[in-house]
Amino acid sequence: MLKAENRLGVIFFPAFDWAISPTHPEREERLLYTQDQLREEGLFDIEGIREYKPEVAQTEDIERVHFCFPEAEAIATRSHYISSGGAIKAAKLIMSGERDRAFALVRPPGHHAMKTIQGSRGFCAINIEAIMCEYIREKYGPKRIAIIDTDCHHGDGTQDVYWHDPDTLFISMHQDGRTLYPGTGFPKEAGGPKALGRNINIPLPPGTSDAGFMMVMENIVMPILDDFKPDLIINSAGQDNHFTDPITNMNFSAQGYAALNSLLKPDIAVLEGGYAIQGALPYVNLGISLAMAGIDYSHVREPGFNPETLRESSEVMNYIASLCDGIRDIYFNPPKESSEGVISGKWSVRHRNIFYDTEGFTESQTESLLLCENCRGLLKVETQKENGPMGFGIEIPAAACEKCRNTGYSLLEEAQIKSRYRYMQMINRKDKDYLRYGF
Amino acid sequence: MLLLGIDVGGTHTDAVAIGPDGLEAQVKVPTDHDNLLSSIKNGLSEIVRNIDPSRIKQLNLSTTLSTNSIVEGKFEDVGVIVSAGPGLDPHSFMTCKDFHVIPGALDHRGSETRRLDNLTLEEAIASCRKSGVKVYAAVTKFSPRNPAHEKEIGLAIGDNADFITLGHQITGRLNFPRRISTAFYNCAVWRIFNKFADAISGTLDEMNLGHIKVNILKADGGTMPLPLSRKIPVQSIFSGPAASVMGIIALCNITHDSIIYDIGGTTTDIAIFAGGSPLIEQEGIDIGSHPTLVRALKVQSIGIGGDSTISILEGIVRVGPNRLGPSIALGGEIPTLTDALIWKDSCVCGDIGKSKGGFAAFASHKGFEPDELADKAIAYAIDKIHSSTRELVEEINQQPVYTIHELLENVRIVPRKIYIMGGPAKAMKMDIFRKFRLSTEVPENYDVANAIGAALTRTTTELELFADTERGLMFIPSLGHRENIPRNYKLEEAEKDAMNHLLAHLGEMHVAADGSNAQITSSSSFNMVNGSTTVGRNIRVKCQIKPGVVRIHS
Repeated sequence: MLKAENRLGVIFFPAFDWAISPTHPEREERLLYTQDQLREEGLFDIEGIREYKPEVAQTEDIERVHFCFPEAEAIATRSHYISSGGAIKAAKLIMSGERDRAFALVRPPGHHAMKTIQGSRGFCAINIEAIMCEYIREKYGPKRIAIIDTDCHHGDGTQDVYWHDPDTLFISMHQDGRTLYPGTGFPKEAGGPKALGRNINIPLPPGTSDAGFMMVMENIVMPILDDFKPDLIINSAGQDNHFTDPITNMNFSAQGYAALNSLLKPDIAVLEGGYAIQGALPYVNLGISLAMAGIDYSHVREPGFNPETLRESSEVMNYIASLCDGIRDIYFNPPKESSEGVISGKWSVRHRNIFYDTEGFTESQTESLLLCENCRGLLKVETQKENGPMGFGIEIPAAACEKCRNTGYSLLEEAQIKSRYRYMQMINRKDKDYLRYGF
Repeated sequence: MLLLGIDVGGTHTDAVAIGPDGLEAQVKVPTDHDNLLSSIKNGLSEIVRNIDPSRIKQLNLSTTLSTNSIVEGKFEDVGVIVSAGPGLDPHSFMTCKDFHVIPGALDHRGSETRRLDNLTLEEAIASCRKSGVKVYAAVTKFSPRNPAHEKEIGLAIGDNADFITLGHQITGRLNFPRRISTAFYNCAVWRIFNKFADAISGTLDEMNLGHIKVNILKADGGTMPLPLSRKIPVQSIFSGPAASVMGIIALCNITHDSIIYDIGGTTTDIAIFAGGSPLIEQEGIDIGSHPTLVRALKVQSIGIGGDSTISILEGIVRVGPNRLGPSIALGGEIPTLTDALIWKDSCVCGDIGKSKGGFAAFASHKGFEPDELADKAIAYAIDKIHSSTRELVEEINQQPVYTIHELLENVRIVPRKIYIMGGPAKAMKMDIFRKFRLSTEVPENYDVANAIGAALTRTTTELELFADTERGLMFIPSLGHRENIPRNYKLEEAEKDAMNHLLAHLGEMHVAADGSNAQITSSSSFNMVNGSTTVGRNIRVKCQIKPGVVRIHS
């Protein structure tokens, strides 16, 4: 009988009764064949591997992370509450010590959901990894967390959520934004003024295969992780780098995903994208599960896998090699100034227009960080959906100084008195005080 | 009209005859493990002594034959030929020495992604032939989606085998390692079971009972006709606990979420009912060193029974899990749970005086007041039963679900009633009630409930239907049925087809098909999309004849 080296919990939630639309890539069928494959392999009969059902996240879990306008219930469907609840369940399994590793195989995904949300972007409405990480910090105290995003699309949402957080290292490797949605994710996006070098983007050329990904892992990701020494490693496990994925142009394989996972050794993996639902997902999910459990995955091969034809050209490999040095340096010698925002008095201010592709509207947003000497700073957001009412959000970080905390409350009071805003939300992580006003 | 039930248990073989007016005869004879047939024959002769044999219509039999031969490893060598394709290394599931892996692969939709390697297959068969193997199991990954490779292996084995089990014939459910071990066990006990079936038929003929229809009990709380059981003898494993559960269903009118205890000599079996129905194991039962796909009622056994020994370690009183002999009341030497119950005047059995004397002596030797020792022993046993039950219910409530609907509906089992059977049932009733504070019932005839359960158990069967409208194909693996379907084939038609095939299958087994007991247990239809065009539907339907009992009297 097989026995897993690491006790692995798999939270499998295919949401067999939910889809954006019947023919949307992110639809009911997505995890069907994965379920068939895991069942047929008898994965859950292996000693040490156990299947769990997800929990349902609470609105508070969402509002601890996001500024939601008009409110969380209006943006997140029940399905989102369950997929983020699945990630929370994974966290509980690890934090309680019931399992050594956990894999949340849930849908819908979340890594395009930003700090402020007014709707759905890139199949994502709420950021399920961030909701999980902040759940962990709320219940189990401060933690240094590294999130490694291996989805083919830039994890722009997660980047945005943690832009100002020096305790969260976010590394995204993805197909170059010049060739794929969402069009961001370049090395110069290195983090906000208080978290420079904590946001690492690795844009890879189309056609990158197993050797290219492993080169990045060995030369960028692992050395940075060794230095950052996180308490927890999270893998945003998007699987659309696969050579058969219909909406991307990469050449990664199930063997490659498993090998990457073996090296990374994440405590928790959370499924993100991956739309080759027949040719890739069953094999990649199996490979990752086996790698996480510490079981031989060398027999996992998808149909049509031919390492020779998938291999990168030497130009691609040379290009990736040249990326490696420069990008590693962003962490070890971070730039002096953030690439985004201007300093205005004591505030660092960013004006942005964010397009919600799933729903087709644009949000205009002004985000300001109070530059504080003593803590990571107070965050303030003013936002307006096209022709919609104004929203206001203010966040007091967990380790906020007394001054920032008080400023936070007086800004909230001021906002209420001015009555410029239809909706207002306060996230006070210091005192676990979460307030919302508006109608 | 009479229905007979025989349950061959560890200690006793119980036999009953039930007619329209209720129980007409009941008998307990000792089980002879080296000669199960003689135990059955003895039970049967006792029953027919006072009964007109022509009134007997049916005999339902639960036997430990297959279970014992597997557990004791007394079975025939099997040639196991598998083909796995990508995934876990199939050698991890090696069940025996004549185990051969043939290159070849099918995917989850049943498409061939690699042809079966005929050369390796021929070599494997030659090697089995050389070892003198006469029974073969052929199992390929994803055969419930497409049995072509299993059939190919079966054809190649051909005349080399007395018997072949093809994986997809066992069940349409997926689980390759379990399918391997189930097919392996089925072959391993095939010959011994068939000899037994021959002997049963012969015995009935000798006793002028040749007209009786014989059914064998299964672990899922149903029966299968004897001719069918000859092909799938593995389905007869662990039918004992199922007989008890069915007995409770026959004797009580269960409508709530409930807990069922069968307190025996060595163990207590715990079963859980949701609403009025017993719960089934999600995958299948474990036996020997391998889990199988044999459908079974969910029954948990714990090492607490009437004969469980009382022990004291560092002042802490424990009961079980060992059984070192019978109770003092029945001639043993070390006090048991039964002796503790006798001390408290809860139980009357065997030599009361001797039991109380022995118990008191043991207590004083260990420095306890006998009353205190008895209370502590009983409390320990009840606590153990209580905590195991809570764990079991919690585990069931933690089982994964796959739709938002199921998850939000939050169907939790909350037991509202307890039913107890088995020897010490009456004696422990009040203690269990005090611990759980739930309505607790011990039915009449609780001592032969398992044989009554056997007698009244209905024939059950289940099947899975799988349709792929892109390919225009519908397939029912366990029946080996495959047919072409139009591209607009829908879930409703699949459900109708599944039910029709289920009832027709029962008809072929000469079982009166009662449509009211047939039910769809799950059904789903997924759009299959290529690019952004819907190319077809992937349809899955499962249906079954509900496990249950015949009500011949009310």
